[in-house]
Amino acid sequence: MNPEFERNVWLELTPRRTLMMAGLLALTFFAASLAEGVEWGPSGVASLLYYVLVVVWGSRNAAMSVVGEIRDRTWDTQRLSSLSAATMTWGKLFGSTIYNWLGGAICLVVMMTNLVTHLGPATAAAELVYYLGIGVIAQSASLLASLIAIGRRQAHSRLDQFVYQAFGLVAALAVYYIWSKAGPSISSSSRQAAADVIPWWGASMNAGAFLLTSLAIFAGWTLLGCYREMRLELKMRNGPLVWIAFLVFMGIYVAGFDAWLSPQMKAWDAVALRLLLAGTTYILLTYVMVLLEPKDHVHYRWMAGQIGAGHIANGLSGLQAWMMSYVATLVIGVALSLWLLHNVSVAGSGQPLVLAELGFITRDVALFVLMQTLPGRRRGDLGALAVLFVLYVLAPAIVDGLGAKSVLFVFFPQLFAPAWLGALAAWLQGLAVASAALTRLALDEKADVSA
Amino acid sequence: MIEVENLVYEYPTARALKGVSLRVPDQTITALVGPNGAGKTTLLRCLAALEYPYSGRVLIDGLDTSHSPRDIHARMGYLPDFYGLYDDLTVRRCLTYAARSHGIASDAAPRAVEKAAGRVGLLDRLDSKSGELSRGLRQRLGIGQAIVHEPHVLLLDEPAAGLDPQARRDLSSLLLTLRDGGMTLVVSSHILAELEDYCSEMIIIENGLIAGGKAIKVRDDDRPRYMIELATARSDLREFLVGHGADVVEADQVHALIVFTRNPGARAKLVRDLVGAGFDLASFGESSKALEGAYFAQVGRTP
Repeated sequence: MNPEFERNVWLELTPRRTLMMAGLLALTFFAASLAEGVEWGPSGVASLLYYVLVVVWGSRNAAMSVVGEIRDRTWDTQRLSSLSAATMTWGKLFGSTIYNWLGGAICLVVMMTNLVTHLGPATAAAELVYYLGIGVIAQSASLLASLIAIGRRQAHSRLDQFVYQAFGLVAALAVYYIWSKAGPSISSSSRQAAADVIPWWGASMNAGAFLLTSLAIFAGWTLLGCYREMRLELKMRNGPLVWIAFLVFMGIYVAGFDAWLSPQMKAWDAVALRLLLAGTTYILLTYVMVLLEPKDHVHYRWMAGQIGAGHIANGLSGLQAWMMSYVATLVIGVALSLWLLHNVSVAGSGQPLVLAELGFITRDVALFVLMQTLPGRRRGDLGALAVLFVLYVLAPAIVDGLGAKSVLFVFFPQLFAPAWLGALAAWLQGLAVASAALTRLALDEKADVSA
Repeated sequence: MIEVENLVYEYPTARALKGVSLRVPDQTITALVGPNGAGKTTLLRCLAALEYPYSGRVLIDGLDTSHSPRDIHARMGYLPDFYGLYDDLTVRRCLTYAARSHGIASDAAPRAVEKAAGRVGLLDRLDSKSGELSRGLRQRLGIGQAIVHEPHVLLLDEPAAGLDPQARRDLSSLLLTLRDGGMTLVVSSHILAELEDYCSEMIIIENGLIAGGKAIKVRDDDRPRYMIELATARSDLREFLVGHGADVVEADQVHALIVFTRNPGARAKLVRDLVGAGFDLASFGESSKALEGAYFAQVGRTP
């Protein structure tokens, strides 16, 4: 047996706790079966308890599975074990939540008994997959969030722990929403009539099959993310290929939904819309990852040193996800600009707008790096967010209030900005902030070496 | 064998190690000492492949920590200065988990657990919960977990902190037994007198560098340390001793700490020569605080 899983079983499934869970649930279902006027009955109560035990409580336990080890000062000992990253990941993911799964399994037995009796085994099987899936996705998303956060710092407040759990809960809500659209319409009154088809890459996909396949693929990416983050914790280096593969997947996946945009953007052809969707996805990923990942100036200098010394592969092994997402954004942005350039009839002011957006994203990611190199860098991300709030919200509001709408292109891409001036302003800001960040990194190195 | 070459390690706020080079031979116990914040724990974490060097390299049994961290983890035992135990598990289960997570098969684990428990004197506590153990017994369990898989290299960060005198003596015996069994140990500690009982070499870390640039031999059965005291000050004491084959660790006009052969005839001759040269010899004897003397002779000299 996986030693990490076994250790968790020793800690979580003591005879007293096991009996308590089984006894409490049995009493609850018995009471539900006796209560008059309760619409749900034992099966409905079991469904509710499953969400509480496996999704809500389970995601908390998953989020705490590594954070708790750090708090209790046992994590370094675990990192020095010879367990593989995969063994450690699934040992933690399912070991820390084994008590939740025990309760969930009891609830599932009650639910499935009811479903098989009333709706047949096929529906019961589909529901079983859904319930297992939502539990795994919620817990793995929470574990992934906590592992990403551990890379940034070792101290974790209760609020931080709640945030990691919240990632899992949001993922579970998304699954619940998708299932309400695509799953077999059964007991829950909240379920709406399922959409029949989803247009994707010009084809009409069966909605149920498409959404469930998507769900499975994203669950796979989440588990892979946990594994990759665990590798980093165990001091194994991750190459860039998996994140690049994820970017390619996301670009292709999201670009397929161009039919949703075409009614609003009739002047743009399918290729332009697909590039726009892929680019927008990469922009979002860039912002999310630059916020989540540690922006350690020592690491950046190490990368530069390795590349400078000709150890290219070594240096590239230190590439962070935000860097690759940023490059992908630039590539897609340039491709979109070129496409618009050669399709004059649909270009309009789109091309300068795209280039302006690339300039602004350059400014923003450089700002996150710059703020980490300034004194008091521990709160660098908050500082960067504050500056961005000023640049995107407060300053434009003031400028707008003063009646100077025509200069709003300085703050964010404007559809009606003077041709190319918006792009120029954005890139000037981007290059200025990037230069400042690079200068600070160089100054830091000199200071550290002379210390 | 542990080899460190020009190791530099940086935290985001400071450079903690500034080019440390050292070599720890097999089957030795090396003390790592120095003021608080000098970089001892950072160095141990780099040796344990828990941190990547910024530059330079660390080799454990020929494996580079930057390239083969997991292989190094498998052959490493490490007890951090602040460590936790699973308080709700019994000693047996704590040791079993440590053994299994280090790759010991489930059928071989009970034997490894019994052996480790026997080494750290916890055989009679195997079924006690670790949360019920005293400070000293918890320390033993921590060491037991670190050695259950018979590591080649054992790193201990302040292992004697909080232990009573008897427990410290037991710890010394245990470390010597482990060394004789084939392990290479690096022990960080503030308690110099205790280190003298079992360490063969001492590395003083100060301000991210090795004070004096190299390890200091703590104990050499063939060439121990002697303290010489004069009743009357002589400015040429150091030169005289160097001229007569002694390695002078430190010296002023009335005292000298030297390393010299244990051979009785040679020692008798040195004493005779000192007296013959007019030195007003008040005492000549093996130093009981050699490590402390060597430490304070080095600390503060780091550029």
